[in-house]
Amino acid sequence: MAAVTTSAQAAALHPHDAHAGHDHYAAQLRMNRLGLWLFFISEGFLFGGLLTVRFFLWGADTRPELDQTIGLIVTSVLLISSVSMRLAETAMERGNRKAFSVFILLTALFGLIFLGGVMVFEWGLFPSLYPAHLTPWGDKYGAVVFAMTGMHALHVISGIIFILIVWNLARKGNFSQERHWGVESCAIYWHYVDVVWIFFYPALYLIGNAVHVTH
Amino acid sequence: MRLTSLGVVRGLVGYFAGMLIGMAVVVISRLVLGMSAWDQEAVWVGGIIFSIIGFLLGVGAMSDWLKWTRGVQTPLRHGPPVNQPAWTRYFGVDYNHKVIGIQYGVTAFMLLVVGGSFALIFRSELADSGITFLQPGTYNTVLSMHGWVALAAILLGIAGIANYLVPLMIGAEDMAFPRLNAFAYWLNVPAIVTLLISMLFGWDSGWTAYPPLSLRGPVGYQMVFWAIFGIGLSSILGSLNLIVTMLLMRPKGMTLFRMPILCWAILATSIIQLTATQLIGQAFLMLSFERTLGMPLFNPIYNAAGENIGGQPILFQHLFWFYSHPAVYVFVLPGLGIISELLPVFSRKPLFGYRWVALSSLAIALVGFLVWGHHMFTSGYQPYLRVVFMISTLLVAVPTGVKFFSWLGTLWGGRLTFQTPMLFTLGAISVFLIGGLSGPILATAATDLFLHDTYFIVGHFHATIFGGFVFPFFAAIYYWYPKITGRMYNETMGKLHFWLMTPGFWLMSLAQMTAGTMGMRRRIADYDPALGVENVQLLVTIAGFVIAFSILIMIYNLFTSAEVGVLAGNNPWRSRSPEWQIPSPAPEHSYARPITVVGEPYDYGLAGSTYIATAGAGDD
Amino acid sequence: MLKLPQSSTDRKHFMIVGALVVVTTIILGFFLLAILPIKAQASVQAEPIRWLFQLHLWLIAFLFSLVVVFMLYSLLVFRRRKGDTSEGEHFEGNTVLEIVWTVVPLVLVVIFSVIGLRTLQQATSGGDDVQVEAVGFQWSWTFNYPNGVTSAEMVLPVDKPALISLRSNDVIHSFWVAEWGPKQDLVPGMTTTLHITPSKVGEFSLACAELCGLSHWSMLAKIRVVPEDEYTAWMDEKLAAQNLQTASR
Repeated sequence: MAAVTTSAQAAALHPHDAHAGHDHYAAQLRMNRLGLWLFFISEGFLFGGLLTVRFFLWGADTRPELDQTIGLIVTSVLLISSVSMRLAETAMERGNRKAFSVFILLTALFGLIFLGGVMVFEWGLFPSLYPAHLTPWGDKYGAVVFAMTGMHALHVISGIIFILIVWNLARKGNFSQERHWGVESCAIYWHYVDVVWIFFYPALYLIGNAVHVTH
Repeated sequence: MRLTSLGVVRGLVGYFAGMLIGMAVVVISRLVLGMSAWDQEAVWVGGIIFSIIGFLLGVGAMSDWLKWTRGVQTPLRHGPPVNQPAWTRYFGVDYNHKVIGIQYGVTAFMLLVVGGSFALIFRSELADSGITFLQPGTYNTVLSMHGWVALAAILLGIAGIANYLVPLMIGAEDMAFPRLNAFAYWLNVPAIVTLLISMLFGWDSGWTAYPPLSLRGPVGYQMVFWAIFGIGLSSILGSLNLIVTMLLMRPKGMTLFRMPILCWAILATSIIQLTATQLIGQAFLMLSFERTLGMPLFNPIYNAAGENIGGQPILFQHLFWFYSHPAVYVFVLPGLGIISELLPVFSRKPLFGYRWVALSSLAIALVGFLVWGHHMFTSGYQPYLRVVFMISTLLVAVPTGVKFFSWLGTLWGGRLTFQTPMLFTLGAISVFLIGGLSGPILATAATDLFLHDTYFIVGHFHATIFGGFVFPFFAAIYYWYPKITGRMYNETMGKLHFWLMTPGFWLMSLAQMTAGTMGMRRRIADYDPALGVENVQLLVTIAGFVIAFSILIMIYNLFTSAEVGVLAGNNPWRSRSPEWQIPSPAPEHSYARPITVVGEPYDYGLAGSTYIATAGAGDD
Repeated sequence: MLKLPQSSTDRKHFMIVGALVVVTTIILGFFLLAILPIKAQASVQAEPIRWLFQLHLWLIAFLFSLVVVFMLYSLLVFRRRKGDTSEGEHFEGNTVLEIVWTVVPLVLVVIFSVIGLRTLQQATSGGDDVQVEAVGFQWSWTFNYPNGVTSAEMVLPVDKPALISLRSNDVIHSFWVAEWGPKQDLVPGMTTTLHITPSKVGEFSLACAELCGLSHWSMLAKIRVVPEDEYTAWMDEKLAAQNLQTASR
């Protein structure tokens, strides 16, 4: 993806121009931003497709029995992580590297908590901690819950990896107050993954009446 | 020169190493989780995913990005490789859009030949009733392979045209994201290798891969799912790149309505590819997971009370066609763009109704999102949906008609000349007309209930694809050949190619449609002689071989002319388009000075008008 | 020899092309009717399909002629003559024309939507005087009648509306008797239906029209449409045989 392009690459794109400085960084930044948003539009169709699958198979009036408390907790944690991500980005814009490191690592931690919550309590990956109540192969409820949360979890995981890379680059001093596309893209990506969950959460936990499936 | 200095060789090594590692990872994790070590489906899925990553790492398509994650700067280098023959750059990662365009184009052509050969194999079987040399299992596999290989060829062919031409046409130095561009191309290669490997295991559902059939067959299906996922991802990334390039890298003065018309077609195509492709990727992933983990998304399962607590087969069809119908417009819109691009040049007249042609591409793309259900008239979905999709489908005729009439307006009163590219353009119009006009007959649901899954459909969509893609693609190859190689192709052989292929194709289409109305089903390994279609089938087979032979002539022509063809000069067609104002073959850095647009693109016959101006050496 | 006008917008061009379009439409229409002999003609539901199909062929003949005659005429009349180095006439478009060829097809779309809706209704409706369940499986068919009769061939009385319910337990199949017209998929997990009123006595072939695996090509069954008394006789005979079988068990 349009990741961390520096002015050196922007300049290399236009080797014939004498002043390949600020203008080209700005031009490349515009392209990176548009590219990232197009990627989100594309991904929107993927997540929209998953929501379609949910409503096609379950209808609007049924949903599986999921643990409401856990659902509320992981959702809150993910929402809070967006706040900490915003704080990290603001810190970078103000040149406060220390605060940036703290907040971005905090974001990753929240992401991990979310992921842990999903894996332990929804997926029941560790039955010794929490008994599994759904399996991907049991029925259409299990299958769709795993498909939706699985695809979302994949994005959370990639977001956490992205955060760690950006954190490491920042530690080495790769970003400046003015030039930090890496941080910006990481933050937008994280918010995007959050927004997706805002659609997934009601679709999985709230819409329809909980049904108990007899096998 | 060592063999491993070729990126593709390293990639293939990475591919097979990755496959072994992936399989080992699955086996080990299954053992750790206390399951039986071997599960064919899971092991292959692991192998395929890792092999694709292994190829990309081996070929070096991600090297720069991996360096960026460590904070290492990598300047974008353009130019032939150092200490190696120049041709080696085509076999490894190269960031120049022209190299990538050629890579796409040549790969596409090779796939077209492979896909066509599959067709010849089963066409020979069908020339006569009775099973002769192809057993039904092999027949089904070859038929299914023909579908996806040909579709992959088309997707890559379009990417080739777009990659080579879009930056040239808008006077840009390269694409917006050159590394992403190279990555998107190289993603196709392991995907295609995987697709070809699937043949060894067999799969028999046709390219549509409808479950539950595709959930039951051999493990070859897993390879197909992941190969198509890879090609789909590539097409998403490629279209993203093209949209950004066209929206943000146009030169001063080139408003959207002053772009060469092909760019409009590519823009409309890219919008579809960017969005709809996700749905087929998702659908195929769901199939793969249903096979691997038993997730009941498409296959119904029943509880003790006899209720279906599993999936629904029709869901897959919705997801599949939400991409695969718009995909048809992905296949044909660039071709229609090429027709609109070439007609003015060979008529020496402006494109009739530029804005209408441009907007009709967008209109086709947008209406295309609303018509997928016309593939499902017999599927058993809610009956009212038939009406909805019938009307939306008929609407496609309106913008398509605008294109046809505008082409006629462009020809009318021109000074027409008939070199090979023009012949193929006119051939494309005639063939696409057959495909297009046989569309409404399938759109009105009642007639489709008879024609669905017959040879009439086969005739219809081959005419659409040949008229919308293959003929324009060949026109484009002949037309831009001088810009790519610096030499002219052989005109006599070009005309021979045309005069064999076009009547051959008309015959093939009409005969297929005849067979369909006589009751010949599609995708059958053998048919009852009582149907009375034997002669028609023989005709289709003969026509197929004539087309194949004519393409051999083309290949010979293209190969030999690169050496002995007449030097073309900058602008053999007297075109106004920017790419013809620079030397042939196009130099490494296309435009020595930035261009600005000062006029309309197609003002042929308007005295004193120019389209582009190049900034002088002094000013900037 | 006709002397053609110099200007491409001269009315004479359009009169010639118009006349040629009329002539080719007629020729092409009959040609298409001859090479596309639609097989659907042995049921009440096939009639609207056949009628609409042939209506389409005439529309196709007209539109094909319209485009191709204009095109070929241009190729002949507006080709570059030897030694001519001039450019084509400069006109960039014509908004009125564009609107015309947007609106006229739009009207056609509306007309065909209405026609399409009506024929669809006719081709998919009918009564249920006779009821049969057709079960498709890889790679054959069974037919169950409500009275418990099970058969490997389907026998229906002529001119009686039949409601065929379709069921599959393995993969998707499609029920198609070409002579009857419409086809309908058999989808696992649901029951689909097809209305057929056979209008011709005879033997037909039922074929699976949706690729369903290895022997899809040979997933056929015999269909017999017989006069009503013959149907009753067949049914009685079947019933008797089946009862005998049950009794002997």
